[in-house]
Amino acid sequence: MTDVTMIVNGQVRGASVPPETTLLQLLRDNFNLTGAKLGCDVGDCGACTVIVDGQAVNSCLMLAGQAEGRQILTIEGLASRERLHPIQTAFENSGALQCGFCGPGVLLSAKALLDENLNPSTQEIRDALSGNLCRCTGYTKMIEAVQDAARLLREESRTQLTHARTEATAP
Amino acid sequence: MKAFGYVSAKDLEHAITLLGEHGARAKILAGGTDLLVELKHAVHNPEVIVDVSRLHELKTIAVADDGLHIGALVTHSDIMNSPVIRDMFPALVAAAHSIGAMQTRNLGTLGGNLVTCVPSMDSGPALIALDASVTVANAEGRRRMPLAELFVGPRKTSLKPGDLLVDIVIPKENLGKPAAFEKFGLRKGQALALVNVGASFWVGDNSVFVAPRIALGAVAPTVIRAPKAEAFLDGCKISAEVMAEAGRIAAMEAKPISDFRASADYRRDLVAVLVKRALANAQARATAKEKELVA
Repeated sequence: MTDVTMIVNGQVRGASVPPETTLLQLLRDNFNLTGAKLGCDVGDCGACTVIVDGQAVNSCLMLAGQAEGRQILTIEGLASRERLHPIQTAFENSGALQCGFCGPGVLLSAKALLDENLNPSTQEIRDALSGNLCRCTGYTKMIEAVQDAARLLREESRTQLTHARTEATAP
Repeated sequence: MKAFGYVSAKDLEHAITLLGEHGARAKILAGGTDLLVELKHAVHNPEVIVDVSRLHELKTIAVADDGLHIGALVTHSDIMNSPVIRDMFPALVAAAHSIGAMQTRNLGTLGGNLVTCVPSMDSGPALIALDASVTVANAEGRRRMPLAELFVGPRKTSLKPGDLLVDIVIPKENLGKPAAFEKFGLRKGQALALVNVGASFWVGDNSVFVAPRIALGAVAPTVIRAPKAEAFLDGCKISAEVMAEAGRIAAMEAKPISDFRASADYRRDLVAVLVKRALANAQARATAKEKELVA
């Protein structure tokens, strides 16, 4: 057995699992985080996408042992208790998901993109989502939703900046 | 996946010791994007997995006295984001970008892509066109060999049990050599290459090709050079016609197969087109560099 400890959605989680356990199996079967989906299980479909140390990866292609000591973000950790994440709001507003199976992976790929680039071009969005197969939507509304999410996040960071400035200059 | 033992190497020395101990019973885990798929399909049934993915000493990109060293564990995303590689070798950035998708590029490593040794690998052609060599370490020590000697056949390298690929070296005389990578797949995203091509050359006095290199992927058991096309170009005045002729010669040197993705004839035609494009692209880079130097 391999003992693993990692931070999942801000919480320290640990388990003892057989070495051949993938990160995806660990998340779903041990931590009951079933947002990441088992699709192709060979890294083609992106339904299992999670963010590890800031990077989107296929959790079906990582052994649980490789995630030891790392920071994992799954779809369950995207919203706060108070509100949805702006990417979720944008996807809801655009009606960008249909059956939703690919959704957790798509949203996390979008998050990984927007964490690096708040002003992505359509081509950059297509590139970032090319590892997430969606058989319902045809992607058009997803791309709109990511553009909308980028706008919401830009506005948010502008507001935060203004607040910070006001506070800094307050007597 | 079938059960196996798992041990995570702490550093390079530890990894070499573990690989020496376990020999042919072990498989090396780096990015895992190929190995885990093969384990799931029971292509290999190792007793133990030696996880080298935490070896920081194999994740560096640095220029040393003998050239540019790229650690075997540098990921395709690392290559795309490296200021040094973006400046010196946009061809390597293009090759890295053409692999898989963001998720697999974040995991997959340059060394891993090379040692899988599939004929359609996208990391091979540009590196072969830049005369890259590789460093291999084992319990006896280290050795350096041309990258071409790593490739033996489809999914077969010259590495022996106990060997670990340490880094990939582009020799110092080729730093900044104009080079290009071209690939044609059935889609833009996540597609295997039907054909991929790496090309490089220096622009000599009076605009002639100097040290031209052409490497072809997916059209032979391993990545191959096109020596007749290279010999044709050497010393020739640079022109679009000459580039097209080099493409036609390279197409005759390719030995493609027909499969469900494309016929051999189609692949041969693609070689001619992609070689021409790669040469033109490398020339555009040479011109851009020249302008940069003048300005």
